[in-house]
Amino acid sequence: MSDVMLNLDAVDKFYGPIDKGVHAVRNLSMTVTRGEIIALLGSSGCGKTSTLRMVAGFEAVSRGRISIGGREIHTLPPVQRNVAMAFEGYSLYPTVTVRDNIAFALKRGNFSAVDVAAKVDEVAEMLEISAILDKYPSSISGGQQQRASLARALIRDADLYLLDEPMGQLEPQLRTLLRGRIKAYIKERGLTAILVTHDQTEANALADRIAVMEDGELQQFASPEDIKKSPANLFTGTFVGEPPMNVFPARTSISETTVSLRLDGDVELSYPVDAFSAELRTRLTEMGEVVLGVRPYAVQRRETGSPATVVANQWLGDQSHIAANFAAGSLVLVEHDRTQLVEDQQIAVHLEPSDLHIFNPKTGMAISHGARLVG
Amino acid sequence: MQTTSTFESVLRGMAITVIILFFMFPIFWIFLMSFQTNETILRVPPSPFFEPTLTNYRSLISGRLEGSTATLEIAFMSNLYNSLFLSVTSVTVGLLLGVPAAYAFARLKFRGSEDIAFTLLSFRFAPPLLVLLPLTIYFQQIGLADTYGGLIWVYQLIVLPLILWIVRGYFEDIPADIEYAYRIAGHGFWATFRKIALPLAGPGIAAAGLLAFIFAWNNFIFALVLASADKQPVTVGALAFITASGINYGQIAAGIMLSIAPTFALALYAQRYLVEGLSLGAVKG
Amino acid sequence: MSLELTDLSKSFKDDTVLDGVSLHVPEGKTLVLFGPSGAGKTVLLRLIAGVIEPDTGQIKISGMDVDGVAPEDRNIGMAFQNFALFPHMDAHANIASPLTAQKQDKSAIQAGVQALAKLLKIDHVLGHKPKELSNGQKQRTALARALAGKPKILLLDDPLRNVDAKLRFEMRLELPRLLSDQNATVVYVTQDYKEAMAFGDEIAVINGGVVQQIGTPEQIYLTPANVEIARLFGDPVINFLDVTPQKDATGVFALISDKRVDLDAGYSHVVGQDCSLGIRPESVLFVPEDHPGAVPVTVEAETPLNEKTVNLCLTARGREIMASRPSGTDGPAIGAAFVTIEAANALLFDKLTGALIEPTDIAVKGKVA
Repeated sequence: MSDVMLNLDAVDKFYGPIDKGVHAVRNLSMTVTRGEIIALLGSSGCGKTSTLRMVAGFEAVSRGRISIGGREIHTLPPVQRNVAMAFEGYSLYPTVTVRDNIAFALKRGNFSAVDVAAKVDEVAEMLEISAILDKYPSSISGGQQQRASLARALIRDADLYLLDEPMGQLEPQLRTLLRGRIKAYIKERGLTAILVTHDQTEANALADRIAVMEDGELQQFASPEDIKKSPANLFTGTFVGEPPMNVFPARTSISETTVSLRLDGDVELSYPVDAFSAELRTRLTEMGEVVLGVRPYAVQRRETGSPATVVANQWLGDQSHIAANFAAGSLVLVEHDRTQLVEDQQIAVHLEPSDLHIFNPKTGMAISHGARLVG
Repeated sequence: MQTTSTFESVLRGMAITVIILFFMFPIFWIFLMSFQTNETILRVPPSPFFEPTLTNYRSLISGRLEGSTATLEIAFMSNLYNSLFLSVTSVTVGLLLGVPAAYAFARLKFRGSEDIAFTLLSFRFAPPLLVLLPLTIYFQQIGLADTYGGLIWVYQLIVLPLILWIVRGYFEDIPADIEYAYRIAGHGFWATFRKIALPLAGPGIAAAGLLAFIFAWNNFIFALVLASADKQPVTVGALAFITASGINYGQIAAGIMLSIAPTFALALYAQRYLVEGLSLGAVKG
Repeated sequence: MSLELTDLSKSFKDDTVLDGVSLHVPEGKTLVLFGPSGAGKTVLLRLIAGVIEPDTGQIKISGMDVDGVAPEDRNIGMAFQNFALFPHMDAHANIASPLTAQKQDKSAIQAGVQALAKLLKIDHVLGHKPKELSNGQKQRTALARALAGKPKILLLDDPLRNVDAKLRFEMRLELPRLLSDQNATVVYVTQDYKEAMAFGDEIAVINGGVVQQIGTPEQIYLTPANVEIARLFGDPVINFLDVTPQKDATGVFALISDKRVDLDAGYSHVVGQDCSLGIRPESVLFVPEDHPGAVPVTVEAETPLNEKTVNLCLTARGREIMASRPSGTDGPAIGAAFVTIEAANALLFDKLTGALIEPTDIAVKGKVA
């Protein structure tokens, strides 16, 4: 058996006539390994749900191929694909109890009644719905329905588990708790799962790899760390990461001794020439104009540095989010203790070359991360 | 799904053809009949090939039915006018009364509002004949029998519940927050009704109005009992085609074509509203 | 204008949504109403707005009882969670609606709308109908509409809930300034504790129709009145461990996995009582084995969370503990490790009632702010 569980090969999705209708998914190719948890992350309308529905079989594939476990399935009806799906809109059977809704998926298999009950109890406990197993879907809250739907999907024995915004309706506290449990449940059983979400916190917490999508196109498919450390382009850089990455347009000038990045508003960042690799320096000279990105937690406050004016300082219990006017734009800093900065206070900030992400302003593609040329 | 095979689309086309034939054939046949004389209509076997003639329409419009033995005077055009007048006025009155009432039922939730709304709907359950007999007597006593006013009043039995229930559903579909927002912005109750509720329920009101128009237009029994010849609508007037000397099918067919023309044209024009109005308002209301 | 609510109650049929809520918002201040969904926050806003009537209780705006005063006469601005824009009017007309109600002349309306639109960066979409606006633009339009009439009381019902994370973050930084510039008295409803802490001069935690705690963000985060509130503030959620405080010659302490964790001396009055020890994840620190008071744990998983890294650990007794630290700092490997608990930041709750137990001599307990 190969290790590839799911393979999408140049998949296109059009709503309406092919090549004329709305192009919802564009030439998407990706491979998911057995036992991996993948998150499809993007804002609404980015094509993530269309992709999931094509895998599940609820949407026809306009072009391209999808295979599960080496078997081409994109022309099969959903029931023959052996996938389990948890729906964003819950979709429980209204006429039976939550317990029967969950057990339904097992009844057709070869399980004794005792086994079924034990399995239902286990998954219900994990998702904190044990207390409502004997209620009917209409008498439970949206969040409970969503968890019941999730339980029904997870309890099945399927090749692939498809979870469409499985926690969208839950309270923030419950979400944090369940994230860890669901991940452990999937990992212990070695299941392969694809999660669709617009919530990057969820994607980061659950997924081994994140597929960032925008406009129907795959922007980057990599581990959460890689996406954070080396965003492939400006979109991924600013979309993933909370608070979002700070970005500034900059003009480069490189002398014998210094690399200088001039930002708007007369801010100049100068670094010793050897802080940047030779290839990168050449590239920066070629480019002339670049976009500079720096993550909020990487912005350092120092005695001397580029001037910034504090606009807001918000303490959130375990970290402070500080907004400042900087380089004719605004800059966000994260500090992990409570800082006593007040509005209009002058501060000096320093950006380390190793924390800089540099992008091509025209294409948006990353040029360098941490002063090292991409690729 | 987009990727349907040719076989599927052929099959689907055939199914649609059969359904259209089934429903449209009678109308189509009547349409053909209206251009024929009695002889060509009654020949055996029937044939769709004939020499078209406009005599049926001509005699209807001139009001002189040329029978085989005699000539009959018939006020078909004035019947058509009566239908138009009765329907338009009834629907106007129905909308003026029904739309504010629907809004009240949708928003104000006063005590007994559900009961009253249901009572109004229940008028539709009663067999019209049952209502008609006592009504006739009352109308004669208070002098409303055989007046347009009396007819329009009775027509409210048909029109009002329909408008009320469809439009109410539409009002209920408008999120209350939108109206709250307008109130909080500083506008009064009536301004909110006119500027927010009415425009947003517009498609529903249009649909209800159209449906009510069609129902009013097609009404037969109220007008038959309560109206004399000069106030009769086409539905009643058409009875005159059945004469002692026989039935002139061609003229009846032409009469039918003329009398369904306005509602048909209206329905075609407002198809989208009608479907929306029926599926949204009526189901939810 | 100040806002004063006294003993407000509201039921729908048999469902009591608000039960004796009293709140006071001084002029120009922001009060955040924070609580889980179904807590009654939205109903409270509607009572203030006057679109529904309370069963009992009193609402005073600037000291004047507004009972029976119609919503349009209360001089209130409100932004709704679902925006509630007028779908048949363009953004301009939406924002202008409080101004048309005030019968301002055309040029004044034009100028007012333009100024606000510019401030909120929606001046380029004023001609668009709501359905042609992005979620972020809708949210800004709704906000502009709420502000347009220069209301003295501003009610904001979770206005950032339906916008994406990036915009929500930007608005979280921007909005407090915007509000203080308006000099309005603000009631802000949210379910997001970060918003609550960022916006509120004061936070009222409301749950089950009752106000459970009112305080500054600092008070709520550092001394939550009960277990529930402690859980609602903080991400990841605060850890709870069952402990029974004990006392010996050196002071008050609790045993966690048979290791001694020193507690504040002010807790001597609850020695022997069943308690929950609440420890924020950022107060759980990984230490070498020989560190005094090191508690052995097993690190089960590591997950990144925004700018933090969270470790899920199990104690010897199998209890889950979460520890968080800034991203990019060194953490433990999966497997055995040792943690210490910053006693100064630990909170003690009554196991039965869930209420916070305050140390008897507060001066002794040094809070690290």
